[in-house]
Amino acid sequence: MQPIILENVIKNYLLDKIQVPALKGIDLKIDAGEFTVIAGPSGSGKTTILNLIGCVDTASAGKVVVGGKETGTLSEKQLTDLRLHTIGFIFQSFNLIPVLNVIDNVEFPLLLQNTLSPKERRERVLKFVDRVGLTQYAHHRPSELSGGQRQRVAIARALVTRPQIVLADEPTANLDSVTGQNIIDLMKEINQTEKTTFLFSTHDHSIMNQARRVIRLHDGKIQANA
Amino acid sequence: MNVYFIIAYRNILQRRMRSLVLAVAIVVVSLVFSLLLALVQGVKNTMIGNGTALMTGHLNIAGFFKLSQSSANPMVTKYEPLLEYAKTQIPEADIIVDRIKAYGKVISETDSVIIPMWGVNMDQESNVLGRLEIDKDANGKVLGDLFQLKDRGTMALFAVHAKKLKVSIGDMVTVSIPTQRNINNTKDLKIVAILKDVGMMSQFNAYMHSADAREIYQSKADSTGQVMIYLKDISTLKTVEARLRNDLSSKGYRLMDKDSAPFWMKFDRVAGESWTGQKIDITTWEDETSFLKWIISLLSALTFILTIVLSIIIAMGLINALWMSVKERTTEIGTLRAIGMQKSKVLWMFMLESLILSVSSTAVGLILAAIICQTLNAIALPIQNEAFKLFLMTNTLHFAFGLPQALITFMSLVTFFTLGSLIPARQAAKLSPIIAINQS
Repeated sequence: MQPIILENVIKNYLLDKIQVPALKGIDLKIDAGEFTVIAGPSGSGKTTILNLIGCVDTASAGKVVVGGKETGTLSEKQLTDLRLHTIGFIFQSFNLIPVLNVIDNVEFPLLLQNTLSPKERRERVLKFVDRVGLTQYAHHRPSELSGGQRQRVAIARALVTRPQIVLADEPTANLDSVTGQNIIDLMKEINQTEKTTFLFSTHDHSIMNQARRVIRLHDGKIQANA
Repeated sequence: MNVYFIIAYRNILQRRMRSLVLAVAIVVVSLVFSLLLALVQGVKNTMIGNGTALMTGHLNIAGFFKLSQSSANPMVTKYEPLLEYAKTQIPEADIIVDRIKAYGKVISETDSVIIPMWGVNMDQESNVLGRLEIDKDANGKVLGDLFQLKDRGTMALFAVHAKKLKVSIGDMVTVSIPTQRNINNTKDLKIVAILKDVGMMSQFNAYMHSADAREIYQSKADSTGQVMIYLKDISTLKTVEARLRNDLSSKGYRLMDKDSAPFWMKFDRVAGESWTGQKIDITTWEDETSFLKWIISLLSALTFILTIVLSIIIAMGLINALWMSVKERTTEIGTLRAIGMQKSKVLWMFMLESLILSVSSTAVGLILAAIICQTLNAIALPIQNEAFKLFLMTNTLHFAFGLPQALITFMSLVTFFTLGSLIPARQAAKLSPIIAINQS
């Protein structure tokens, strides 16, 4: 099953009563276990596509299917549930909960899911904290970590629920090149071992070169899909 | 520990100064509210304590005897069967006494006062009237002995009347009382005790031997003013009252309709009614002290208004603080919504912050209030202002701070502040998860 399907998706925004088209008929299918980059200049529609796939926004027209469910037919509660169980998010600015330490941040989605026992939850969290190489920082709060370490926490948080899809909106934009490369390496490694579908946006050509598939957007349309 | 609690708790700590100011404000409201409630309850307790010693039992078998249609004498004739009934058929009763009611003028060499008086039998009164404190002179000397009222020809006055009449123990006064046939009978009585004032109630009471009261009124030994019944447990009052009313009615006694007023406020009404003979009036301590209810009502109203005003101010502060917190944490809320937190959980997370703050601060306020009440009660802080003494019915401040007051304060403040936090919490819950991505 393809976890992400977009069929003739159109998205318009209203700006001062004027309709501004952000996506102009996008057709896209992402297979399970893909490591795909969405590339394009600012305003090309990268974030809008991620928003629609991430179920935090709805299409003006067309069909968006995520994890086998058509998002346009779901209620807000169902969309929240779909995000919780199907999608992991990695944000450009990490977006960790500042008052929680590394373990608590990573554990949070599992607490929302409430499907594991406390022991299983703990084991899963420690495994992913170890996986991103932060065991020794497990009790540190985000403010006590470097940018790269924070993004590792965000990756662990996105993966801890074993989602079908991980969406990352410019995950290396706020990191230096070496740290950014490390993060991409980590994501690739997890993609290979966990078979998680990764879809992320970037401006960075060196990172685009490492993706197995690059979807190039321009002015709300797919320019190249290779 | 619940992660929502941790987030709420740590956010409170992170915004330390703001939280501290709010916490102190809630502590102050909780403290003021508790102290006012304790003061109101203290006045209520004083009213029950003094009222039931001075002028009423918890339950009274009283009534009026009318020689003619236009007369109204506050007495119970042939009272022994009623006394016997009370002693044998009311197992809830602890103490039963009977007193003669009198109303007239007490005249000294320099002045006179018109006051209600009671003819008492001190053999029955050790646990009732005996509870009252005897006043002391400037040198600390106790002014008399209330139990000398066992002797005929004696009288006990409150300090307020003694002062006006310029009499002390050992002095003689003349009591002049109009009888049922409108003849003024007089008797000279010796002051044997001067009672410490108990606020407003002191104005309405003086005591003499019951036989002297009967002699002045020329009434028979089988008549009395009222049979006063003190219950072991005051919570049984309504039940016992209903049973008493039912029993006496079925025994053929004519009962007056329930009227929640002291006996002296019923004279005109009774005198205007067409019946003659004896009617029994069953009253409670609340009926007999109802003329003082306005004090409790006024204090309660003041407490309510002050607390509401303070609470609204604090709730506004709390709402504002949470509102700022929502603004500052927009991205965090968006992130939580994006990763799958339902709106209801966001709402709960913010309300929990308010709950933690209000529960802990109100608890501190309650503990402080309990300590302050204990301390003030131990010190027995004297009230200097005479008007306040009258108003609060006591010479020293008395705070009654118990579990009911604590629970009322706790529940009302916590509920109020938590409900107040609903406004910003709902705003937080409404935030779209897209914010998290757009603000990244």
